[in-house]
Amino acid sequence: MRYVSLALHYRVAIILGLTLIVSAMLVPGYVSATTLSLGLDRAATIGLIAIGLTVLLIAGQIDLSAGSVFALAGIVSIMLQPQLGILPAAAAGVVVGMVAGAINGALVVGLKVHSLVLTLATMLIFRSIAHWITDSQPVTGTDIMFSLALAQIYLDIFTVRSALFVAFILLLHFWLTRTIPGRNVFAVGSNVVAAEESGIASGRILFFGFVFAGTLAGLAGVLQSLVTNTGSPVFGSTLIVTVIAAVVVGGTRIEGGKGSALGTLGGVLTIGALTVAMEFQSVPAYVQQVVSGFILILLVVLDRTVNTRRKATASRPSLVQGNPVKQGGSA
Amino acid sequence: MIGKRNLLYVAAVAMLASTGLARAKTVCYVNAADSHAYATPANEALQERAKELQIEILSLSQDFDVQKGTEQINTCVARGVDGIILWPLDPQAYIPGLARAQQAEIPAILINSPMGEEAKPFVTSFTGPDVYEEGEMAADALNEALGGEGSVVIIAGQAGNGTTIGRVGGFEDRLKEIGSGIKVLDTVNADFDQQKALVVSRDLITRFGDELDGVYANDDTMARGFIDAWKEANPSKPTPPIVGINGQKDAFESIRTGEMHATIVQSPVEDGRLAIETMARILDGEEVKDRLPIPLTVVTKENVESVEPAF
Repeated sequence: MRYVSLALHYRVAIILGLTLIVSAMLVPGYVSATTLSLGLDRAATIGLIAIGLTVLLIAGQIDLSAGSVFALAGIVSIMLQPQLGILPAAAAGVVVGMVAGAINGALVVGLKVHSLVLTLATMLIFRSIAHWITDSQPVTGTDIMFSLALAQIYLDIFTVRSALFVAFILLLHFWLTRTIPGRNVFAVGSNVVAAEESGIASGRILFFGFVFAGTLAGLAGVLQSLVTNTGSPVFGSTLIVTVIAAVVVGGTRIEGGKGSALGTLGGVLTIGALTVAMEFQSVPAYVQQVVSGFILILLVVLDRTVNTRRKATASRPSLVQGNPVKQGGSA
Repeated sequence: MIGKRNLLYVAAVAMLASTGLARAKTVCYVNAADSHAYATPANEALQERAKELQIEILSLSQDFDVQKGTEQINTCVARGVDGIILWPLDPQAYIPGLARAQQAEIPAILINSPMGEEAKPFVTSFTGPDVYEEGEMAADALNEALGGEGSVVIIAGQAGNGTTIGRVGGFEDRLKEIGSGIKVLDTVNADFDQQKALVVSRDLITRFGDELDGVYANDDTMARGFIDAWKEANPSKPTPPIVGINGQKDAFESIRTGEMHATIVQSPVEDGRLAIETMARILDGEEVKDRLPIPLTVVTKENVESVEPAF
């Protein structure tokens, strides 16, 4: 029984491991440094947004506008290049993400609107602004050489993007598990009322959660636009679905109060590894989505099994049950 | 960690060595979409011809998502294919991926749509319809129908899109070149969308009324939009001469009934076939031209029964 519960506990790591092993056996050329580095680079876009979303989901909120912010930030970082130069324009793009997140946060906290509805609205608004300022056309940057440099692979494994992603996810892990504000996020997500009564400023935590998520979506968008030397109003239009899937596969509960950074890392890598494996075998795009969908269902069911087990064996208060230290090792 | 990486290298080298000896050539085909009126027959034709040429196709579908496509090129490079055929949906975004392919010494060609000038050093060839020539042919057809004078409107595709620029530019330049008396009243964008074309056509018909002698639509679906708007406004009057592009089945039907004057057939089957044939020649070590157009045919009432519609 011990092994079963241990296996269930590390289910994300196990699923990731299985995905890699099966892919390596079935797909020729899968195990190589190039595949690893390019797969990781690809996962980084989803991953950076997933980092922000992990925090929001733990806090019991969601941000559907991330894909639109991704596009908008990228467009701004390209459009301002002639006036500001590449790096200041990139910074401006990230600021756009931050502002978009602040708008989301202020409206959710200030108006007490459910974030699902509110960010659905801002998703449409930000996307429309992206179309509006570009006339629905892709915009092109000033220096393709910079894009080529940014797409370089360093140390055989990392691109700038994937290195940032891995660094950030480790920082997030540390922040969520070892700092008081990080732990407070879990408290707010499990039970807002209880959290407030124990003196946690839940409004402020939620607001900064949205700012954080917006900033990372902006950063991901800026990096994507710099690497492709293109800002496009249609970039990232289906991204958010994959990101939510990756975070949930990683064991973060959509109801809030539970989740971990390393779990998200596992989820992002699982989805990335699967996509690359299936593309290697020329599996049609539709089938790929079906497989991802089934894995999602499988993991959610496993998640429920773990929880009922826990409740049966020990009656801990909910905050401790959602303790990130217990959840942290899943990747 | 270092030990592990070395192990990966050994595995990779072993894998490359074994595939290099044993397998047929593999070509990565990053297509626009799996299911689309034009793309599907093009994809199928490419696959079929590849089978005859004994080339294995790794088909990846962008589903009209540029971002996905840029990542799929990386997959192609990682997979270590022998060649890449890309259906570009953006003039720039794929360049870093194509540069990576070049570094890995994988030849790449473009199918169907062109990319910007900056992409030229990274692609060996571009096969597909010459959209500029299509515009010129449309100008000739409309000029002939109107006897060299009159006022027309252009219903264009998406602004900034390579196909739109070529089809509008070729049309306007050709009119000037042959000294036609045709005047272009207005050029409006309807994004290759029938519904949008219907809406802009209503406006055009209201604005210009009887002044309107002819219409040039950048594709047949938008021509259809204009015909519908015309029927709403003038149920009893015959349509002015309309020229479209693509050669769709329903455009052939409209030409038979006289609702449309002409269309230009651009065959997706030829499009797909030419791309894989060109890639096969590159893989055989032949030199190919950097631009290889597919044949185009103007279809009017005279030859509508003898030409196959494109799709």
